Amino acid sequence: MDNTADVTREGEGERLTRYGEFLKRAKSKLPRMHLSLKGDGGKHRQPYFKIIRTEYSREETLWGWIFVLPCVILGAIFVLGPIVISLYYAFTDANLLRLDEAQWVGFENFKRVFEDSTVGLALTNTLTFVVEVVPLQLFTALGLALLVNKITHGNTFLRWAFFVPVMLSLAITSMLWMNLLNDSDGLINALILACGGIPVNWMTDEVITLQAIIFISAWQGAGYQMMIFISALKNVDHSLYEASEIDGAGSWNRFVHVTLPAIRPTFSFVLITMLISAFRIVTQPMIMTQGGPNNHTMTMSYYIYLQGTQYRDIGYSSAIALIFTFVMAAVSLTLRRLFEGKKD
Amino acid sequence: MESLMHIIRARKPRYVQRACLRILRNTLIVLGCAILVCIFIFPVLWMVSNSFKSNDTINAQLSSLATFFPDFTQIGQWFDNYGNLFATFDYFGRSILNSVIYCIVTIVMVLVLNSLAGYALARMKFPGSRTLMNIVVLLMIIPVETSVVPLYVILYRLGLLTEELNVFGYLLPGFCSLMYIWMFKQYFEGMPIELEESARIDGCSRPGIFFRMIVPLSLPIFATVTILTFMGQWNEYINAQLIFTDPAKQPLQVYLQLINTFQPRDLGLTMAALTFSTIPIALVYIFFQRWIIEGVSFSGLK
Repeated sequence: MDNTADVTREGEGERLTRYGEFLKRAKSKLPRMHLSLKGDGGKHRQPYFKIIRTEYSREETLWGWIFVLPCVILGAIFVLGPIVISLYYAFTDANLLRLDEAQWVGFENFKRVFEDSTVGLALTNTLTFVVEVVPLQLFTALGLALLVNKITHGNTFLRWAFFVPVMLSLAITSMLWMNLLNDSDGLINALILACGGIPVNWMTDEVITLQAIIFISAWQGAGYQMMIFISALKNVDHSLYEASEIDGAGSWNRFVHVTLPAIRPTFSFVLITMLISAFRIVTQPMIMTQGGPNNHTMTMSYYIYLQGTQYRDIGYSSAIALIFTFVMAAVSLTLRRLFEGKKD
Repeated sequence: MESLMHIIRARKPRYVQRACLRILRNTLIVLGCAILVCIFIFPVLWMVSNSFKSNDTINAQLSSLATFFPDFTQIGQWFDNYGNLFATFDYFGRSILNSVIYCIVTIVMVLVLNSLAGYALARMKFPGSRTLMNIVVLLMIIPVETSVVPLYVILYRLGLLTEELNVFGYLLPGFCSLMYIWMFKQYFEGMPIELEESARIDGCSRPGIFFRMIVPLSLPIFATVTILTFMGQWNEYINAQLIFTDPAKQPLQVYLQLINTFQPRDLGLTMAALTFSTIPIALVYIFFQRWIIEGVSFSGLK
């Protein structure tokens, strides 16, 4: 079959040189239907057409559009749609209660964003969360994966033990820890008291509450990334370890010079996805603290959500969302560039 | 530890030293593992065992070790909380069922629609295909969470927030995910094209090729997307609590918050609710563990 295909391609090439460049150009400019001999020695002639120089098969176009159409429609309405309307609403004083009377206010909403101290606080909290939870979760996951990988007896049990928090959903985890960390009758404070320590205001202290949420998020998510790391570690070429052992490398050197480079693609993938999802944090503060105490666990996503739903101020909510989206897009693009550059 | 090793080294022959060192190291590893396992498991253990206790027992045992274990003296009352749960909260069972239904519908639709789109973008050349691909890549950067409110406005404008239609309003936006389209596209592009070419020469139609050849050959990516969709949909909280006011339609995650914030606070009841609602997802994880591990790890191998 391959032979015939080659012969046809050669034949086409000859024909083109024979007719000359002029004819080829003239033909390609006309968007009309042809019958072409494609790939199969002319047994199955496929109708095709051309738009500017590109050839399209009629059948492929038909099925291609049928295949993508549902997604194009849904995506246009539910993915592109919200972005477009929030671009518009950001410049209006739109309110959820009187959507049709939105007035154009120019950059008023954006001015408000920079004057709003809660936005500053929410941004600080979000950044604190990202900066602390990503290394904590990443290195916990990597450490657990190395541990499980090293231990030969009972590693299935260990793997599942560390994976248990992932099985609880985010909402259930938040509710469970909310009860565990309850200031007055939570388990953790009871244990601290029993050990003779001083109980901590886990859910009402302005500094500690955010740290508690960071710990809980890492606790819940680490098992998932651990699974990814375990499979990456399994794929590391074993002969590399043997070779380095012969060369006299210790276990630390082997880790730095063999394991880390081998799992770097996985590492950077996990890091990027973790960073992006950390920026979006909303469920945990929403369930556990409602942003309190005094907005000290307010995050950007949650504030955008609150402005839109509770205060019904869609214009303002859209303006914050727009700015935040730009920040996040910049961060994720920079990261991708950084890591894709490093791969070479 | 240093001094201990020093003593070992000074007095015994070399093979004894080595054995001692190994025992020491293994003990440390086992201890470390035990502590880690405790950190990861104790909240869940506490949740499950306290779901078998009455509120008074929980408070009485809170500062002793008994708090981590079910109370075997009260074995007859173990399931009181569970009975109470279904008696007090009429829609609890219903909300679990809702969550399961929403998950199944979303998974099926996501698999069908996104794999078709991914295949078309990977293998077919048609007017607009390149533009579509560029749009997908561009929009993938934009986070979904920031568009919760505008999405709500769009659903409102489309009339999908009424009592009759809000299920559609909740589910439809989840059917098309750019990330899954992208994942499918990447996977299909990596498959050898010769198979498809020979099938086409044998006269197989496009849908025929896709459903009879591509789908059976690319089960790993379907499994991965199934798992990611399942986890995403099962955990979905924000949209659901915004759209559903009727408890009969609420998924589990939203309904649980009602139980959690219920006054007067009954810890045993709350723990029973949390435990019971973990059972279905735990079953899914246990039965499909091979696929889940493969799916999770596949999502990391890009």
